[in-house]
Amino acid sequence: METLYQIFADPFVQIVSAPDFFLQVLWEGLVSGVLYALIALGFVLIFKSSRIFNFAQGIMVVFAALTLVGLHENGVPAWLAVPLTLGVMYLLALSVERVVLRPLVGQPDIILFMASIGVTMFLIGFGEFVFGGENKAMITAELGIPTGSIEFFPFGGFVLIEQKDLTAVIMAVLLVLCLLLFLNKTAMGRAIRALGDDHQAALSVGISLSKIWVLVWFIAGVIALATGIVWGARAGVSFALEVIAYKALPVLMLGGLESVSGAIIGGIAIGLLEKIFEIYWGQPLFGGNTETWFAFILALIVLLFRPQGLFGERIIERV
Amino acid sequence: MFYRVSGQFKTSYESDMALFPVKQDAILLAFILALFYVAFPMMASEFTYKALLVPVLIYALAAMGLNILTGYAGQLSLGTAGFMGVGAYACYKITSIFPEVNIVVALLLSGCFSAAVGVAFGLPSLRIKGFYLAIATLAAQFFLVWLFEKWAWLYNFNASGAIEVKGHEFFGLVITGPNAAPITQYYFVLVCVTVVSFAMINITRGRFGRVWKAVRDMDIAAELVGINLMRAKLSAFAVSSYVVGIAGALLVFFWKGAAEPNLFDIPLSFKVLFIAIIGGLGSIIGNFLGALLIVALPVLLNLLPGVLGLEINSATLEHINVMIVGALIVFFLIVEPHGLARLWALIREKLIIWPFPH
Amino acid sequence: MAIKGMNCLAAGVVALGLGITAVQADELYTPNMTYRTGPFAATGIPIMNGQRDYIEMLNARDGGIGGIKINFDECETSYNTNKGMECYEKTKGNAIVTQPWSTGITLQVLPRTNVDRVPILATGYGFSPMSDGDTFAWAFNPPVSYWDGASMILQYISDGDLDNLKGKKIALLHLDHPFGKEPIPLIEKLADKHGFEFLPIPVGLKEMQNQSAQWLQIRRERPDFVIMWGWGAMNAGALTEAVKTRYPMDKLVGVWWSGSDDDLRPLGGKAKGYKSISWNAPGKYSVIEDIRSHVVAKGNSMIGSEDDLNKVFYQRGVVMSMFMAEAIRTAQQKFKIAKITPEQMRWGIENLKLDGKRLEELGMLGMVAPFSMSCDNHTGHGGAWMLEWNGEQFAKVSDLLMPDRSEIEPIEKEKAKEYAKNNAPWPGRDGLACE
Repeated sequence: METLYQIFADPFVQIVSAPDFFLQVLWEGLVSGVLYALIALGFVLIFKSSRIFNFAQGIMVVFAALTLVGLHENGVPAWLAVPLTLGVMYLLALSVERVVLRPLVGQPDIILFMASIGVTMFLIGFGEFVFGGENKAMITAELGIPTGSIEFFPFGGFVLIEQKDLTAVIMAVLLVLCLLLFLNKTAMGRAIRALGDDHQAALSVGISLSKIWVLVWFIAGVIALATGIVWGARAGVSFALEVIAYKALPVLMLGGLESVSGAIIGGIAIGLLEKIFEIYWGQPLFGGNTETWFAFILALIVLLFRPQGLFGERIIERV
Repeated sequence: MFYRVSGQFKTSYESDMALFPVKQDAILLAFILALFYVAFPMMASEFTYKALLVPVLIYALAAMGLNILTGYAGQLSLGTAGFMGVGAYACYKITSIFPEVNIVVALLLSGCFSAAVGVAFGLPSLRIKGFYLAIATLAAQFFLVWLFEKWAWLYNFNASGAIEVKGHEFFGLVITGPNAAPITQYYFVLVCVTVVSFAMINITRGRFGRVWKAVRDMDIAAELVGINLMRAKLSAFAVSSYVVGIAGALLVFFWKGAAEPNLFDIPLSFKVLFIAIIGGLGSIIGNFLGALLIVALPVLLNLLPGVLGLEINSATLEHINVMIVGALIVFFLIVEPHGLARLWALIREKLIIWPFPH
Repeated sequence: MAIKGMNCLAAGVVALGLGITAVQADELYTPNMTYRTGPFAATGIPIMNGQRDYIEMLNARDGGIGGIKINFDECETSYNTNKGMECYEKTKGNAIVTQPWSTGITLQVLPRTNVDRVPILATGYGFSPMSDGDTFAWAFNPPVSYWDGASMILQYISDGDLDNLKGKKIALLHLDHPFGKEPIPLIEKLADKHGFEFLPIPVGLKEMQNQSAQWLQIRRERPDFVIMWGWGAMNAGALTEAVKTRYPMDKLVGVWWSGSDDDLRPLGGKAKGYKSISWNAPGKYSVIEDIRSHVVAKGNSMIGSEDDLNKVFYQRGVVMSMFMAEAIRTAQQKFKIAKITPEQMRWGIENLKLDGKRLEELGMLGMVAPFSMSCDNHTGHGGAWMLEWNGEQFAKVSDLLMPDRSEIEPIEKEKAKEYAKNNAPWPGRDGLACE
């Protein structure tokens, strides 16, 4: 009986009795969700254009952030370090395309997936070799990101919003808007989408496969840098950041592998729901730390009803 | 010349479908078995057993289990480590609840538990396909590891949340725990792996294997010719998880001696998947080749500077090692996406017609 | 047993072929299983630099210990148990002592050391029941165990009398991992006895960077104190969230692995008042100057900048190596031989006695509390200090705290017995004399 009460009544009683706390939970969930969505976005872009499930997105985040911080440590001013880092990410995209993707064109998906894990391992080794394994602080202030916080006092309690998190959300929104504009309004963007629909048809109308791939990986690199900056501002930059790649996977399941808007909505939905579940059900009933699996189970249940995710392209099978 | 097939006539269907239609294959296999059963134990040091031979065998077994699912039945799974964990924890519970049970019986039973869990998490495969399924199996992975961490009954309420292995005897020989001689453990694992390998070779050649392959190549077509998809997919999950579970139990009982839940986290899944893919999907021998490359090579690479007399700082060495392994994976995928087993098949074909290629 | 004979012969051949760590006759081989890579590297690197530099300094200044050089070989594990096993097997043949780091590797290595007869030196980690020398003859975890640490933290926050905590709520923010769960049994017992409420809050390995759920829970539950049992990237994540949640910093106390300068520096003044218990007190000591002149100045150190020498973790590494060096010296004096065996090393650690006089000779007076080990005390239980972050660095803010051994000892005995049962047949002391 008590368990039933804990499952069905107590959480709602808590929500109503401490609405300010609930608002805080929502905000934290939203911020996490946006961050998950950012990583998922990198996955989606690459999958859309090249059918590669790019596991290296996680390490690219670390790599970009470390390059930025490393450059700054060596005396490069922040305004110069950012474009230089972008240059490094472009080089990375160029070499991945040349060394890994081009020889593997047309291989089964799983082979490309494995190759991306190979790239991940290489980048881990290379990154640690160059930058060392120490935890580094993100150059938040130098980049002009405000570090203060805003407080509200609704319902007699308080809600605290970090300006850092607010910046992250705004940055993510801008990034997504730019990306959507780019994909839908520019010739290059349309080429990317065309390539995603059908490689051979795209090639036959004169779209260069290799150019587009470099471009897409570069955009994924830009997203990685943005993600690295906002995550790094929260918890420092180290190789432990790499595990955040796993947090993006259920987002992809939920939102669909090909959908940019799916990644955003899926990310935010998962961020919110897993936070609410953890706080009101996970911690009292399961001893906490349910965030490691909640998103996966949720996505699994959704997939049972929609096997292509909420916004994925409908899977049409022919014999 | 060495692999000449002329003169070996097939006079019946049976002989054409035999396990070794070519005599040299059987000889080669006998040679490899002799290598593992006689030659290696004669030269191995304790380090070789503990860091090379036993892990290679156990990882190969786990990869074989995964290969049944991914290579033969075409269902991509990233939850292997979770199922290995189920096998290990089941074996631990069985041996601690019934201490008098023979360890072999416990091993065989623990496979059943992981098979059951595998079938449960395989159910979504009836609706979900491809990468979506792969990510869905991650749900199993993360949920199971969380469970190993939280369900104190599983690790007998141990203060540090780990499972530890008692000394078990097998017909008077100590085969687990620190007092077991590495050579006995090696032989025990070797026999297990050999038996399971032969069983798997025959299962995949038989009716089940054919059904799985049909489902892998195109499941709708398979369904149309009257294959029961549910039965095919779930049986693949069951057999695969059974083998994987045994590999997990062997891992803890015959190699590590103790385990924390973390051991069964996602990196282990990826490692096993690598072995299966680099070795060759849809092949049994490939798992062993893959395990040699993924498990043994890094260990040997680590020893290399010592042999060459180079003074390299061990952290730097590790960085370089990770880079080399990553690069090698990409290299092998480019050279032969179908894996080392396919590479061997090509060499064999060349050998058969050598020295007259036309 | 012909096979075994051939085995030995062949083992030699293979060992030669594989080049298993060549060790020269005139040195003592003391491998250290480091993790300078991987997600926990941030915590590992400063400590391991300290460990290495102290031995390098001894080699450069005194020509080793007792006239014999120390070969302080690092074997990289990236905190990975597979690699830990590999390192242990690779080094055990020549090692006089092994330092496994990581609770996971310790778990695997511990049963084997009884058979291989190599002592484990797990300074400030490993499990607390190791203190029971009757059960764990070959394992040592000086100078204090995790349970000692938990006991000292509780004493500090209760101003010396645990009954002051009655009716209060104490949260334990811990890594969801054997290391993080270590203090739970003791705190649970003390909570029952002294009537305070205990709330464990686990942080998953994948949630280390984003602990907002845990800190929301802390905000909801409003515990009077939060004890932090963190490692690696978890520390920086937790402190960032604590600042964000406006949790009063002076109510937040960490274990010694949660007190790294590197984690606190990015937060600077915002983390002022954060406390961490530590069994080494940072400061200016002559031993550090010796390291500066003999190792750092000669470019032999792996540290990033000279500033690292003042960090709590670096100096802790120095203290760790000092324990090992002093144990070697103790064994050398007893057995009157420079090149000691692992068994003699075991005796040396078991009979390690560090008093104020010896610490002063070493130039380390006040850096670590004096303690001595014995057959039934493999930890030493030397005590520790509370450090406080003042915005720029850690400073000592308490007198020497001592653990309440009367509470801890019974659980140690009980858990040690349980461990022996789980790992039956467990040899225990196995006829090793107690002198």
